[in-house]
Amino acid sequence: MTSPAERQPVEVVVTGMALISALGSAFNDELAAVAARLDAGEVGLVEHPPLGALPGGGRAGVVAQLDLDRFLVRRQDKKLLARPSALAVAAAGPLVAAWPGPRDELGLFLGVGREPPDDGESEATLALSAADGQLDERLLSGPGRDRYPPLLPLKTLPNMAPAHISINLGLMGENAALAGVSGASMAAMRAGVRAVAEGRAPAALVGGADARVDLGSARDRLRVGEPGAPGEGAALLLIEPRAAAEARGAKIYGVVEVLDMDASAEAHELGAALRPLLGALGAAEAAAAVVWCLAAGRAASLGAADPGLPPMGLAVRPAGAC
Amino acid sequence: MNEATGARKRVAITGIGAATPHGIGVEAAWAGVLAGVNTIGPIRRFDARSFPVRFAAEAPEPTALPEVPAAVQHILLDLKGRLAAVAAAEALAMAQLPALGERLGVCLGSEAARPDLAELATRMRSGQLPSAEELVRMSPEAPTRLVAAMAGAQGPMSTVSTACTSSSQSVGEGLLRIRRGEATAMIVGGVDVLVDPIMITGFAKLGALSQRNDDPATASRPFDLHRDGFVLGEGAGFLVIEDWDFAVGRGATILAELSGFGCSCNAYRITDSPPDGRGAAQSMEAALLDARLQPEDIDYINAHGTSTPMNDSSEAAGILRALGERGGSVPTSSTKSMTGHLVAACGAVEAIFCVLATRDGRMPPTLNLAQPDPACPLAHIIGGALTAPVRHALTNAFGFGGSNGTLVISRVDAAGDRA
Repeated sequence: MTSPAERQPVEVVVTGMALISALGSAFNDELAAVAARLDAGEVGLVEHPPLGALPGGGRAGVVAQLDLDRFLVRRQDKKLLARPSALAVAAAGPLVAAWPGPRDELGLFLGVGREPPDDGESEATLALSAADGQLDERLLSGPGRDRYPPLLPLKTLPNMAPAHISINLGLMGENAALAGVSGASMAAMRAGVRAVAEGRAPAALVGGADARVDLGSARDRLRVGEPGAPGEGAALLLIEPRAAAEARGAKIYGVVEVLDMDASAEAHELGAALRPLLGALGAAEAAAAVVWCLAAGRAASLGAADPGLPPMGLAVRPAGAC
Repeated sequence: MNEATGARKRVAITGIGAATPHGIGVEAAWAGVLAGVNTIGPIRRFDARSFPVRFAAEAPEPTALPEVPAAVQHILLDLKGRLAAVAAAEALAMAQLPALGERLGVCLGSEAARPDLAELATRMRSGQLPSAEELVRMSPEAPTRLVAAMAGAQGPMSTVSTACTSSSQSVGEGLLRIRRGEATAMIVGGVDVLVDPIMITGFAKLGALSQRNDDPATASRPFDLHRDGFVLGEGAGFLVIEDWDFAVGRGATILAELSGFGCSCNAYRITDSPPDGRGAAQSMEAALLDARLQPEDIDYINAHGTSTPMNDSSEAAGILRALGERGGSVPTSSTKSMTGHLVAACGAVEAIFCVLATRDGRMPPTLNLAQPDPACPLAHIIGGALTAPVRHALTNAFGFGGSNGTLVISRVDAAGDRA
């Protein structure tokens, strides 16, 4: 196999970073402090009452505050935002605002979880559609339907997080919503790095967003045997070719390179180290690990894999090591 | 890409497989759309008599399933898994790939599956939670796991989940991976099964579905002045694509060339498409550029053509914007008029129709296009299949949330200067 350098002739650098997690919302230079807290082992998990009934307690990595409204083009669309979408827009907003180029070619590659939680909105429909504990199609098509939120199918599609970024922040370039768990944002970052290196996008937002602190998602995690507390968050990187970044005088936080499959298998799964601190971030986890490394000034080869699927990897080098 | 010469890898299509409302297998689907056979009818899977929308294009239950490894057999408990299995088996049998291990990847488009009413009822009665296997089976990446296991693929894997654009983007993602040398061959495509009471309820309340309950066969009428929404369909479509030189070297039968891919976002609204077709045009322009073709090279367009008032006029505007004058004269059709909207699978199934159009020099018609909408001034194929050589075909897929994907498929002998 060829080396990353042979296959990726254009060096791709990180010129913006965002991490929204149980430790708060931080962007760019602010992230050094967050990285230091993570390095010190600070635990951001808190008691989360909705999960109190779960075996092992109800601790979760919950984002307390979200600065979102200023990025929404149409405030009425807020009701359409499932939690991962809200996290994604809040993370993307400051990065896109700082991007000086046109947004119509800016790429967008996001790792997304499985169908986002519907915040209990379908429960009224299901309750009204039941007789003697049985769901009944005639009731569903009558009183149940009357209570069915018409926008629910759209709110819970996995690709709504990138869709809301595009709609509210004006991104129109090459894009993908890649589904999975911890491998999702790794796949998204790799696709974005390739697109920028090949000139398919002049720059791109890459990373992931996920929210798994609702009771249903937390139960699902227990059922499939995922260890640790659930979490929620978004981690994004703004990436572009080094030459373009230097030409516009952008601050460079580091270099990202796609690793070959065989090298990926050996890369360290740093995302797992974040779980006891921030909770399991699912589709945002691998991107959060990349942000952590770059903000801490560490070079690393990072890997991620979803159960039963091959690993994927990315090498990161902070600016000082470039 | 060879930096010295600017040459890049060409990508061959060597296997196709489908399970659509027309039946199991690509030839059943192809014969059906060429003959103008409509598959849309009353819903049979559940008692829909009291629902606001009582028709759909349901996929048939496969009568025989391929052998799959034990670890993924539980995925076949779901119709989505069964449709994926038979379509993937057909594509793999046609391609006859050698064992490639890490050089064979899988990239599929899929949405999360939803529990059916009987399962929900069981849970409501007993408080029982879904099993771990059930959760895995319902995840968007379940079909990816299934197909990878069937093919013995150990290379790059990913699952694209961009609603109705999912499988179009998965085909594009596979194309890029082969060009980059990340894989020698990829299995790409998508699967979706959405005809269930909850989805019918949801999409009907959203106002997205046609409500022509009195005449379902005329409900899907893309580009017609009196269109009133899309018709839910379901199915699977997969393609085996591989490095052109590798395919030639092993003596494979090359069906067509996968020559271009483009995608974009609309940055407009969740449900609506921009009237000026800007995002769609950007996707088509990117695909043409990627294929190194000009608008006049395109001989057929398989449109996304959902039959919703907004999509069809926006797509028509996008075609005219991207292809200029040529956009109004390229023979264009929407096979959704016969298959319904296969959602996450539509991009791949319609790409397969483009492969067959280049192979056979035949283009399927748009059914029910009785009165073309003046806002959609395209060269519609009406009244039967059109017979003419197809050098290059272009196919669109657009998704809720405003994601767009375009693929260009080229006849084997129409390489031009793309290599």
